[in-house]
Parts: sequence; C-alpha cells; structure tokens
Amino acid sequence: METDVLIIGGGPAGLAAAIETATRGLDVTIVDESSSLGGQLCQQTQLIRPLPSVYQPMRGFELAKVLTEQINDFTVGTLLNHRVIGLYADGSVGLSDEEKVFPVKAKKIVVATGAAEQAVAFPKWTLPGIITIGAAQTLVNRDFVMPGKEAVIVGSSDFALDVASQLLEVGVEVKGIVEKNPAAAAREKEKTDALIGRGIPFYFNSFIKEARGNGQVEEIDIEVNGEILTVSADVVCIDGGRSPILDSFYQLGCSFGYQKELGGWIPQYNRQFKTDRENVFLAGNAAGISQQGALLLTGMIAGISICEDLQTIRSGEAEEIRDALWEELKLSEYKDVWEGRTKHIEKFSSPVLKDQFIS
Amino acid sequence: MDKTTIICRCEEISYEEVEEVIEHGGRTFDDVKRLTRCGMGPCQAKICTGLVANIIHEHTALPLSEIPLQRMRMPLSPIKLEILATNSTAFSAVKSVLDEVEIEDGKVR
Repeated sequence: METDVLIIGGGPAGLAAAIETATRGLDVTIVDESSSLGGQLCQQTQLIRPLPSVYQPMRGFELAKVLTEQINDFTVGTLLNHRVIGLYADGSVGLSDEEKVFPVKAKKIVVATGAAEQAVAFPKWTLPGIITIGAAQTLVNRDFVMPGKEAVIVGSSDFALDVASQLLEVGVEVKGIVEKNPAAAAREKEKTDALIGRGIPFYFNSFIKEARGNGQVEEIDIEVNGEILTVSADVVCIDGGRSPILDSFYQLGCSFGYQKELGGWIPQYNRQFKTDRENVFLAGNAAGISQQGALLLTGMIAGISICEDLQTIRSGEAEEIRDALWEELKLSEYKDVWEGRTKHIEKFSSPVLKDQFIS
Repeated sequence: MDKTTIICRCEEISYEEVEEVIEHGGRTFDDVKRLTRCGMGPCQAKICTGLVANIIHEHTALPLSEIPLQRMRMPLSPIKLEILATNSTAFSAVKSVLDEVEIEDGKVR
C-alpha cells in the first residue's frame, strides 16, 4: 500500500495534521489502534479551551466530531483497529490488522502517538480497583460504567480534578484527593475551589502508605503529615502525569532529548515539527505534553510543513502560516511548557540520545 | 518505599529486586531488565519504565536526563507469530533482532 502522508495516531494532533494535508490535495492515510477517530477526546466531557482561533471552545467529544467531519469531505484513508508493529528495512511502516502484517510506503510520516499515563507505586497498588485517572474517565464517559462507589484520587492535576467532578456527577462519592505537594497541582484554581466548595477533602503533603483488600481494594492508608488516616474506598484513581509514547520514533531511528517541562524524553525536532529522520514529522503529546489547543496547533504546523516539502503550497506562504501558528502556540500553552519547547528546539542539532537502534 | 512493593506488575518484580541491580552497578532500564526480567511481560515495559527510572534516580542521584530510554524493539506490541507470518512475502524485511547486529570486518560491532 502507498500513500503521500501516513499519520500514526488519529487523536486531535493526527486529525489536525490530516486536515491541513488533505485539504491541500495530498493523499492521506490515518492509522489508529482503536475503533474510532478522536483519540482521548472521545471520552472528554470537560470544556476544552483555549482552542486555535478557527474553533469555538467546546467539549472534547464534540471537538472529536468536528475534526472527524472535516476530513470526511476529503480522500483520507482511515485504518482503524490497525496498529504499527515496526518498520521495514526499506523505510515502509509495518501495520497489522490482527489478521496479517503489511507494509505501507509513505512519502511523509507523522507520528502522533500521544502520551501514556504514568503509574504511582505503593504497597498493593496492583489490587483490582486501583486504576489510572484516565481509565476512570473512560469507564464513566465512554462505557457508562461506574468504576466504584467510593473513590480516592491520587494526584491533583487539572485533568484529575476534571475527572473528580465527572465522578461526582454520576454519583461516585469522592472521599479525598491525595497530593504529595503542599498545594494542588491544578493550574486552574477554580477547579480546586469548586471541589473544596462541594466538601471534598484535599490531603496535601500526603501519599498512600498502603492499600488493603481481599481480592480488590477495600481501604487505603493515607499518610498525612506523618499521621496515618485510614479511608475505605473501592476505587483508587492514580494521576501520575503522562509521558510521550516513543516506540514508533525509536523504531524509526529518531534522536531524543530530555525536557522535563514536556514530559521527559521526547524526539528531537525543529520548527517544522520534523525529526532528524528524513520524512518523519511529529505532532501532539508525542512532541511534548501540552494542552489540547496546543496539540491541534502542533498537528497543523506539521501538516503545513509536509505540504511545503511536497510542494502543494509555496514555501513563502508555508513560512507565513507556520509563523502565525507558532505565535498562537505561544499563547495556547503554559509559559514553562512553551519555554521547554523553545529550549528543546534549540538543541535540535545536539541530541542527547542518538543512534539508539544499534548500540 | 516498602521493599515488597511491586514495580513490574507483569513479571512481579519488587522494589527490592530493582534496588539490588542498582547496588550491583545497574544504571539503565535495560540493566534492570537483563538481570530481573523487569519489563519483559505482556505490557512490554509500558508501565514500569518511569518507576524504574525514578528508583535509579533516587538511589544514584543521576539526573533523569542521564538515565537513557529502554530499547524498544519490533514488534512494538505483542502479536501472534501466525499474524506476523500471514501472506507476508517481505516478512524477513521487518527489522528484527538479527538486523540489530552490524558486522564490521567480519566481527559483530
């Protein structure tokens, strides 16, 4: 199979890259391992803002629909329920449809594989009922299943607090939010205030000492300022932050750098969102963890850069659009993330990790 | 952290076992993997990578930027051999473990 642009990952960034490239006449193929496009947006009922100027603020699943509808008007091949398993020696990407493996030869590749949630380990954290915060949201919003009756949330990022509210809405009792630092990690203070207003206890300078239960979690010990507090809970939601998913980049032979503000190890890339591998671009959380609006912008930049390379847009025009998108990106993400990204791009020619495959 | 805490849930590797590798000089995820099977289960290190890096960081004071990524091999997620081989005329062209070996002057580089 052959295509102009192969996009690995059909989440917000992948879809944004698909829109930019498909609307400029390129033959685009999106591959995603799940059964629908939109990625994590599909189960996000919270309002997503800020969004790039071409979109009104809307809920995550609505955004997924809006993005998907835009590519439906063009010839975009979508390979759902397909996963990337590796790379062929001739540079084509090996995909599997769970029946066979076949190569796809693309002129340009966009890796938009997103991010994975990180674990927080404590004694007996492997008990059933202890799940990630993202899993809790998927159960409630996508599968319409209550993950439990009494929940404890470990971590207090904006996303964790969004999900805490969503759990409350469906009748889960949130018994407390455990945060290791002296203040909530959420940047939007009103989220913390809203939960405090609803009587949800926040335990700061605290961590989970131990979970207990017979066959599934029944109670947990929280260490609060040196004292042990035992709380009964049948679901514990862990918010350990997220880190970029790098497997595809590694297979493609990309170089990596470490940037704490962007989620740790990430591929090296330049202002075009192009990696140091010929024809390999990237977008979204895989290029550094940021907010949804920023993820769309990174996809748009990667898309424009590909159009420029394949000459479906004039170079000067591409540069103009890209500058404008970068300006908007600066306004769309938190200052420290933006500074991390700027620093990361400066290091493009001096990566920390390179030639990983042969070592 | 409690020494019995599981770090790799697929292979049931405890904190203590990871610690032991570090005491023996292990400084990367792959060091821990080779000595304990940490990260070699069905999830293929998708859960424990960050946990192990943090333990190495805590024990050695190495910054996280000096604890390299683990090697990520094809296939990127578990797949049945049957599927890998079906209709595949170019099967051997998929980057395999053997492709990683580079010969230089008749010797493995």
